[in-house]
Amino acid sequence: MNRRQFLGAALGAAGTVATGVGLGGYVLPLLAREDLIPGQPPDIVLRPRAWTTTDDRVSFVAIGDNGSGGRQAMAVARQMAETYQRRPYGNVVLLGDISYYGRFEDRFTDVFVRPMGPLLDAGVSFDLAIGNHDEGLRHSDEAFEEIEAEIRLLRTPGRYYSRRLGPVHLFLLDSSRPGLFGPGSSDQLEWLDDTLASSDAPWRVVAMHHPPFSSGRHGSTPGAQERLVPIFERHAVDLVLAGHDHDYERTEPLGGVTYVVSGGGCKLTKVGRSDFTAFAASILEFLHVEVDGDRLVARCVQPEGQVPDRFELRARTRGRR
Amino acid sequence: MNRATVERVAVVLYGLVDWLVIMAPSLAVKLAADRGGLGDSRGLDLVIASLVVAVPHAIVAATRLRYEETAARSRLDVWIAAVDALVVLALATTLLIVTVLALFAEEHAALANRGFPIVALWIGLQLVAVALAEVTGRAVFRWLEPDAPPAGRRGAGGGDGVRPEPPSDRDARQPARGA
Repeated sequence: MNRRQFLGAALGAAGTVATGVGLGGYVLPLLAREDLIPGQPPDIVLRPRAWTTTDDRVSFVAIGDNGSGGRQAMAVARQMAETYQRRPYGNVVLLGDISYYGRFEDRFTDVFVRPMGPLLDAGVSFDLAIGNHDEGLRHSDEAFEEIEAEIRLLRTPGRYYSRRLGPVHLFLLDSSRPGLFGPGSSDQLEWLDDTLASSDAPWRVVAMHHPPFSSGRHGSTPGAQERLVPIFERHAVDLVLAGHDHDYERTEPLGGVTYVVSGGGCKLTKVGRSDFTAFAASILEFLHVEVDGDRLVARCVQPEGQVPDRFELRARTRGRR
Repeated sequence: MNRATVERVAVVLYGLVDWLVIMAPSLAVKLAADRGGLGDSRGLDLVIASLVVAVPHAIVAATRLRYEETAARSRLDVWIAAVDALVVLALATTLLIVTVLALFAEEHAALANRGFPIVALWIGLQLVAVALAEVTGRAVFRWLEPDAPPAGRRGAGGGDGVRPEPPSDRDARQPARGA
């Protein structure tokens, strides 16, 4: 082998190793788990205000981690619009991470207005549980600016707040740092404790970005079980909705509380099973919730309308004041 | 199996690997869409777009390899150039797509909003990757085999009734030439 052959072969061998490790281990999996292909928004016209909300009846949808503006996000959004046609709802609970691949202010139209256009036109309202967008519990000026932009553009009342939807008292938490897990977090925890204590709603649902229980890529959020779960159990919360992991997972009732991760709004990562898992799948989805009296029915809906998981809850009236 | 058959099989296998390398990004997207629960047709446009690039280039790459095998003095030079081209193809076809899609997401969405077919962007990026691989393969081969007739003169040589000598004959003559 002469010098040129040695150099050419060495480059080829090094390139083969780099290609095998880099592409097989990182780039192709990245392409598979992200939602980088731009998509067309749903072109569906919905009947405005077709839902019915009374003191004992309401429907809403929860979706997390849907901020790509890509093809998969559009497919989920289309199914949200089609589901509205069959089972109208008046509220969408966003479980955080509503803008990827850029600042929310710049991508507002791409990641929110376009996919949610039919629902916005139909008068559906949106609530936001702040996700810290998106690398763990990041704490920086940039993250705060992003959160402020989300609050301003979505006209969210605050970083954490509650609102009444028919028989449901919905609590939207800011689980970013320092929101729930850092210095100063006691303010929000005190507010949650007090507001739950004073709630007379038959149903109590909490929405937050970081899941207390998860078998997904990020897993259960450190600190959440110690700080939040005792409050949820003490005040007989029925359902806790979260995102962050890009999958769907429902737990068995834990201390009477059912925890759902609905983070399959546009991207996918693998999910395992834990001893608390009732159902888990790495799928694109959103959660459709119907409450009628003391009965809550929730369906995990996939982009083609499949329902891989459905569960029912009964209101836990006995534990309340 | 004689040597000529082995060479033909190797060339066909190289063409298949070349095809698979170009198809890989679109297959990754399609498989993810399937796993996520999207319909069968979602992602198929990118698979077809990659097919449009991959099938002709697999034929071009195999043909180039076949020609180089007949024109080169050393079979090792041919395969070094071929592997280098394949590595560049694999890196470029995937990294270009991921880089352009991830770094310029706002621009694509704006293009898609105006009806620009994202398939055209996909094909364009893969054509760039193919061009880079072709340039690499030919350049490395030329660097290793400066005396080999350029691929463009192959037809002229055939028209003159002159065919490149089989590599085995040339290899056999090497010691005599040096003596």
